[in-house]
Amino acid sequence: MRTTFFVLFILMFSLFVVTLTSYTQEAPEVSERGKEVYEESCAHCHGIEGRGDGSAAENLLPRPRDFTGGVYKIRSTESGELPTDQDLFDIITNGMPGSSMPEWESALSADDRWELVAYIKTFYSGFQELKESETLPRLINLTGKVKYSQESVEIGKVLYTELGCIECHGNVGRGDGTSAPTLVDSWDYRTWPANLSQGWNYRGGSTTEDIFKRFIGGIAGSPMPAFEGDTFYHFGLTPEESKRAVELENKEEITPEDEAEYAKYSEKMENAIDAALDRAEGTELTPEAQKIYDDAMKVVYEKSWHLANYVKSLSPEKRPEYAIGNNVLRSQYKEGDLPTFDDAEWETLESSYYPLVGQVIVEPRQFNPTIDSVNVKSFYNDTEVAFLFTWDDRTNNTSVEETENFGQSFIDGLAIQFPVKVPKGPTDEKPYFLWGGRKPVYLWQWMASEPETIKELTAKGMSNAGLQEDQGNVQAESEYKEGQYRLWVKRALKTEDKKDLQIEPAVFVPIAFSAWDGANGDIDTKRAITSWYTFVLEPVPSSRRFIYPPLVALLSLGLLVGLRQFVQRKNT
Amino acid sequence: MKIRVFASFMVLLACCFGLIVLADNHEEENNMLVFPEAYTPMKVNGGGKITGLVKFEGEVPEMKKLDINKDKVVCGKEPKFDESVVVGENKELKNTIVYLMDIVKGKDFDAESKKPEIDQEGCKFTPHVQIVPVGARLTMLNNAPITHNVHILLNDADMGQDINKSQNRMLKKLRIKGIAKAGGPVEVKCDIHSWMKAYIAYVPHPYFAVTNEKGEFTLENVPPGTYKLGFWHEVCGTNNKEPQTVTVAAGGEVKQDFTLKLPE
Ligand code: HEC
Ligand code: HEC
Repeated sequence: MRTTFFVLFILMFSLFVVTLTSYTQEAPEVSERGKEVYEESCAHCHGIEGRGDGSAAENLLPRPRDFTGGVYKIRSTESGELPTDQDLFDIITNGMPGSSMPEWESALSADDRWELVAYIKTFYSGFQELKESETLPRLINLTGKVKYSQESVEIGKVLYTELGCIECHGNVGRGDGTSAPTLVDSWDYRTWPANLSQGWNYRGGSTTEDIFKRFIGGIAGSPMPAFEGDTFYHFGLTPEESKRAVELENKEEITPEDEAEYAKYSEKMENAIDAALDRAEGTELTPEAQKIYDDAMKVVYEKSWHLANYVKSLSPEKRPEYAIGNNVLRSQYKEGDLPTFDDAEWETLESSYYPLVGQVIVEPRQFNPTIDSVNVKSFYNDTEVAFLFTWDDRTNNTSVEETENFGQSFIDGLAIQFPVKVPKGPTDEKPYFLWGGRKPVYLWQWMASEPETIKELTAKGMSNAGLQEDQGNVQAESEYKEGQYRLWVKRALKTEDKKDLQIEPAVFVPIAFSAWDGANGDIDTKRAITSWYTFVLEPVPSSRRFIYPPLVALLSLGLLVGLRQFVQRKNT
Repeated sequence: MKIRVFASFMVLLACCFGLIVLADNHEEENNMLVFPEAYTPMKVNGGGKITGLVKFEGEVPEMKKLDINKDKVVCGKEPKFDESVVVGENKELKNTIVYLMDIVKGKDFDAESKKPEIDQEGCKFTPHVQIVPVGARLTMLNNAPITHNVHILLNDADMGQDINKSQNRMLKKLRIKGIAKAGGPVEVKCDIHSWMKAYIAYVPHPYFAVTNEKGEFTLENVPPGTYKLGFWHEVCGTNNKEPQTVTVAAGGEVKQDFTLKLPE
């Protein structure tokens, strides 16, 4: 009985979904309403005429899209095709993370978003031509998905290198490939390969399907090519045939039989490529050619799903939680020596995640920061505290250089900021978060040009920072590898210098960061920053000296009570 | 009277406006090739020949040395130079397209020109300017174990979406789909090797030649008649505004030289 109900329910539900999607396939006719909403919400970036030249456009990279060229990055369609209406609706709804294109789900009704789809299509005649030709853009085939597994990830990893993703995205996907520093987009602006370990910054979503669509269809307007069927090695051969063909290719002495066998494979490949090209040129395939094409694509799709699974494995499912509330950085007590730079003990800690944003308050500003975040771990003992800072940067810039196409590049760096005096409680005022003001801040400044040095600074504002007289109290060691910096820092908890922060267990200490990506033109105030966060030397469990600041305690209590009530209500 | 003056003023204004609009439109067209509305292949009897020499006038810009920042073992074997202006000893200009603008009937493409190729040996496109018949498939060759991407900027010439296809290190050949529309020349580049750049012209008839190292060109088997002879060069531009007129006699040979300079 129950199962019948269930089946019925599923049936009804799928019907509902089907009607829903068929309804949403097509944008409405263009209307005044679309124009109105566009001019109110979009034109200051995309321009009244859709040329991407709105008043706010100039500082933004990537630039707001020029709609008149019909170039769309995020498509569920094959390479060379326009996006579907649904693609446009989705991108307007979700925005493009990692760029300044906002999401509009919260600000505009679904109806208005559909009106916008219809309206932005009028900027490019190709949409109208497509409609008149009564054809639909060709969708990327998403059937035959290979389930995520370690085995699949391993196969995908090999393809990642074989197909050349590595050239731009780097060995482990941090966007630090050897071609990364020279890429430009179709509008001649600098662009960077996505950091594949930060799925939350993907423009078009980070599900396995999203990834699959992006590399098969390519990302129009960007340097990223399409990895279509016929760009795969031995397109047209089955895995067994391909294996045999490789054997023959590598054989020292070739017999006439070998030659005949290889000729057979060659012909198969030629036929498959011909079918793919015929199709791409818009020629109707004969049933025979269609079969050749489908068979060849089956092999390609399977490989592509493995690759998508591998790329998926590079990034956490979600953006890490920010280092606030329960995720506040808690330095762990350790008896004896603190772990050194290379110590495996660091692996035992979870890191705290500090997201960075561009500094846009003081000139010169950074509207397009390239450093996503700093990750921090910490240990302390009775006399010292050690930190391990990690952050991704696609390039290792250790000196000021003149680049071929992008002007000067500067030196990478990181600054860790504390108040000189720890505020007495949550209501006590902290120094101004941008390098202090009336109240001074105490800074550790590290630069890639001197990778083993931390300079101590005192600052009362961005333009009012000075080196402390007493230097050398802070030890540092660092490394740049595969698109990532690791910086290890150690200092005594207490120092003689009045201008230094004095660190005590169980006291919540404000902490903030600045990071410079020299290749992105970061220097001085042009940088990525955080506002104030806090960290604490987590008291030794046995000692009872520690009292949570009342606020935190209350908050957790409130949460607990709320949760219990929720669970209880669920149960009754 | 007053009304007349006003009216003629308005007409003048309208004319000026029209001219501005026209000039604006021509700006882009001036960098492109000019094609006949339609072209019909036929058997040519008693065709003539147009030959000539293209020379560069003025101070020859220095060929900038390219920064080979990647795959140096293969790509950086010998130094590479920017190929936008390549001249011989006596300033003979290489890589200039010379072609008939207005021919509507003539020979068909020969078998060889229907199979255009661009080689990427040494991480450089050869030839630097390639003629591709409309609908023909271009083959990209790659003999070294180096990964490229073939990025053809069709959109810049309003020829549809760009082509950007990966050619991984194992693909010795990559075929690019035929393009149904004449146009260009369009740029082709490799994003992986930022210095790689060349031009492709998609053409509807075979009366196109690209000058060699000696600046020479030859158009063969031209049906007798009078034609507009055009040129295109990536930096020096075109003669679209004032095409050269040539008259070809049956079985005859016409010589027509050109002198090109950098645009002002
Ligand atoms: C703050 C500036 C800004 C505003 C406001 C804005 N956009 Fe965008 N939009 C961008 C930028 C920047 C991009 C390009 C991002 C990229 O290329 O990675 C973009 C890209 C797009 C794209 C291209 C998507 C693709 O697949 O390539 C669409 C469609 C779009 N915007 C629609 C809209 C609509 C509709 C609105 C108004 C409701 C709007 N945008 C408002 C900045 C903006
Ligand atoms: C020529 C350089 C290049 C190559 C090769 C390349 N990519 Fe990319 N890739 C880029 C660039 C640049 C971007 C950023 C595009 C943008 O947002 O404008 C990108 C973005 C991405 C994204 C993020 C998509 C999104 O929604 O933002 C994924 C996933 C990706 N690439 C996967 C791959 C895979 C897998 C391969 C190999 C099969 C590959 N790439 C090969 C340059 C490249």
